[in-house]
Amino acid sequence: MFRLLLRRLLALVPLLFLVSVLTFSFTAMLPSDPVDLILGDTGTTEQHDMLRERMGLNDPVVVRYARWLGNAVQGDLGTSFFNSVDVTRAVMQRMPVTLSLTAVAALIAIATGIAAGVAAALYPRSWIDRLATIGATFGQAVPNFWFGLILVAIFAVNLHWFPATGFTPISQSPWDWLRSVTLPAVALGLSSSAAIARQVRSAMVGVLQMDYIRAARAQGLSARRVILRHALTNAMVPVIAVLSFQITVLLGGALIVEQVFAINGLGTLAITAVRQQDIPMIQGLVLVMVGMVVLVQLATDILYGLLNPKARPS
Amino acid sequence: MTQATPLRPRKLRRPGASGLITGTAILILLVLAVLALAADWITPYDPLRQNLMHALQGPSANHWLGTDDLGRDVLSRLIYGCRIAVIAAAEATAIAILLGVPLGLFIGYRGGWWDWITMRVVEAVVSIPGIMVAIVIIALLGAGLHRAMIALGILFSTSFLRLARGVVLAEREEVYVRSARVIGASDSRILVRHIFPNIAPPLIVQVTLTVGAVLLSEAGLSFIGLGVQPPHASWGTMLNTAANYMDLNWFLAVPPGVAIIVTVLSVNLLGDVIRDNVGRGIATAPSAAARRRKVRPAEPVTVLPAPTEDEVLRIEGLTAAIVPEGGTETPIITDLSLSTKRGETLGLVGESGSGKTLTGLSVLGLLGAGVQVTQGAIKLNGTDLLTLKPRELEQVRGNQVAMVFQDPTTSLNPAFTVGSQIAEVLRTKQGLTKAEAWEKVVELIHRVGIPRPEERARAYPHELSGGMAQRIAIARALSCNPSLLIADEPTTALDVTVQQEILDLFRDLQDEYGMAILFVTHDLAVAADICDRISVLYAGQMVEMAPVAELFADPRHPYTRGLLSAMPHAASGEPPLPTIRGSVPRPGAWPVGCRFGNRCDFHTAACDHPVPLEGQNGRLIRCVHAERFKLEAAS
Repeated sequence: MFRLLLRRLLALVPLLFLVSVLTFSFTAMLPSDPVDLILGDTGTTEQHDMLRERMGLNDPVVVRYARWLGNAVQGDLGTSFFNSVDVTRAVMQRMPVTLSLTAVAALIAIATGIAAGVAAALYPRSWIDRLATIGATFGQAVPNFWFGLILVAIFAVNLHWFPATGFTPISQSPWDWLRSVTLPAVALGLSSSAAIARQVRSAMVGVLQMDYIRAARAQGLSARRVILRHALTNAMVPVIAVLSFQITVLLGGALIVEQVFAINGLGTLAITAVRQQDIPMIQGLVLVMVGMVVLVQLATDILYGLLNPKARPS
Repeated sequence: MTQATPLRPRKLRRPGASGLITGTAILILLVLAVLALAADWITPYDPLRQNLMHALQGPSANHWLGTDDLGRDVLSRLIYGCRIAVIAAAEATAIAILLGVPLGLFIGYRGGWWDWITMRVVEAVVSIPGIMVAIVIIALLGAGLHRAMIALGILFSTSFLRLARGVVLAEREEVYVRSARVIGASDSRILVRHIFPNIAPPLIVQVTLTVGAVLLSEAGLSFIGLGVQPPHASWGTMLNTAANYMDLNWFLAVPPGVAIIVTVLSVNLLGDVIRDNVGRGIATAPSAAARRRKVRPAEPVTVLPAPTEDEVLRIEGLTAAIVPEGGTETPIITDLSLSTKRGETLGLVGESGSGKTLTGLSVLGLLGAGVQVTQGAIKLNGTDLLTLKPRELEQVRGNQVAMVFQDPTTSLNPAFTVGSQIAEVLRTKQGLTKAEAWEKVVELIHRVGIPRPEERARAYPHELSGGMAQRIAIARALSCNPSLLIADEPTTALDVTVQQEILDLFRDLQDEYGMAILFVTHDLAVAADICDRISVLYAGQMVEMAPVAELFADPRHPYTRGLLSAMPHAASGEPPLPTIRGSVPRPGAWPVGCRFGNRCDFHTAACDHPVPLEGQNGRLIRCVHAERFKLEAAS
């Protein structure tokens, strides 16, 4: 297990490197001049040149990249062009918000998706199967932010069960955190839940036709045990890849859903940064998000190894 | 999967429902296209004309869908939104195809460094959440519909690139492409003539997926203000407006939301239908077992000896049939009676389709979906299993009867160690503790002749050879000391050298545990080796039953004779092996009379009436010419 982990971690290095090159070169192509952005129309030509020199913008692009990467590796993502905010600090401040929203949405999506998929596979063509299939088809067509608006209209504006906007950190009050995160997480999780349900159903249907399921039944193990232990464990193997992808989707979706609920997460930060052409902020955000995605992939890889003995190095 | 599932409809939805859904989806998309084209003429108001006196009104006769915060007509804006949606979907999808497909074809065909570098870049892009990629590209290009669609086009081109590359990689090694290359066809000609036809079907499926995703993404980007810019109307910007007035007029969110959902749903459903027809569809389930029908009691059985004390299994007049939902029954086993006692091995021999495996499965109550016992009795140690409730039958399985399957590598669960699979049975069936169970597991694995049992118990099925896996399966089957063991072709999937060892193991274990064995095989040589008595099945019927020595010395049914003469040892070797002409008729196509009649050299008019199974002293035969063959053998 340890060697598997190490190998996966090492495999991530070139990927992260490539992402950093892509991010840097892309943002380096941005049409606006950072110095103009910072000083605006004020300042003399000398001041412009001085700032340009101080920011190292006259250096060749390779040198600038190396400097940026060197700092990034040490946790320093630079300073925003606006208000001189430290990028690392700004991102780290917002990250728990987006992460907890994504995590709760992922939990909801995985739990409901697997339950619906298993139920549909167990009773093919029953009303449960039809309901799950129709629900999954609809779920994938509903925009998450629209679902969020509708949830707000019903459960916040009309029923007052949940706050309509805002986010309470879990450290401040777990109960208020749960109340503030529920609606956005449900809105965000719907389409992933649908995608997972479809995958689980299809994988379960395949596994339930395998010999070892019949052999386990022949040995007198109960239907419940065979389905929940023997079938589900094997059905989860192909589902893992979908889970990993869906968590990436959720992380992206969170950026938009945050806007519905006026949550100050990475989404708001990213949108502001793009509007302002705040290069260090955009670079930092992309790098941090890829870091999170990569960690999720690592976790699902390990899970894959645990569920599928054939994938383990012997 | 080795066994065929009898009923496996390809599509989930009934054809009628499927046609209706497809029709509706196409109709909706057509309406959308018409609205998009004719928006200038059919909208009741100018979508941009403000009227602050009538802001945020609900639906009325003047404004069917109400007005927004600036008093603009929601219906008119919605219709103009159709135009944006069509433009967005067409633009982004076209860019994605034009960018992704040629690049994918190129790197797939070229291979080498081009391929390696491009694929690493694609991997890197895919590891960033899609919406973030779009946002970064928009940062570069600036906000607005067309720029946002270029961003989405670049984003979605990765999936077209991978698709095109995958098809090329698969196809370039195909024989016809290689031979085209040999005869000197140019690369571009090969691409156009041979690869394009194969890429078209998955491409169409991918287009529907992409159109759906583009519509949702465009709405999302416009919603956060990076797509279509106000005051222009798109469904996403309309929702952005609605979001600000949820407490004043929540209805504003409904029309654009429903428009998005209905459109995306239509595209997705159309994609599903296309995917099903292209053959990349998800696996569909066989329908759940129809409601259990009542089993009719057996007719009085004359061919079996009276029950004795050491009798373990007694099957009386068993009939099983395929019972489709609302269809007519097709029998697959008819009027089968047999019995076996402690320490005896009864062989069930026949070609595939004779019903021998189904007989074994019906004892366990594990016939597949759609197959049911319709008549008869299956008595195990005196209890009729057909009268038991599912829970009670579960108790019987494992404890009193167990089964060893044909392919040991698929009958063991790949996710668990072999030891834990045996231990699980011991713990759930016999209530042993973890430690007790493990001790017994090691003992059992040692008993079935596997060296270093403690180490092997911790192995996964894929780490064992076929012969060793089958020994494990046997150990699991015997773990609760059942009185009946059903072995379904347990040596067929193994190497010839291993077969003999497994047969010897069965014999040894039977001497030690004393269970009865129902041994299912198509191989008479194997049956001769292990069985005490042999029952020959043909087309769902028993045609002959005899002690093994008598059957080989004096086969009486023409089918048995045919089987024997087709055995390699029986023939002298010089002339080619004789075969039985024709093949086993399929269930539902059985003749009324002797089911072997159309393949039999002795066929007469008398054979066209149903033939009863007759005989005594444990010799049974179903043939009108039985007496004649008996005399022939005697003379």
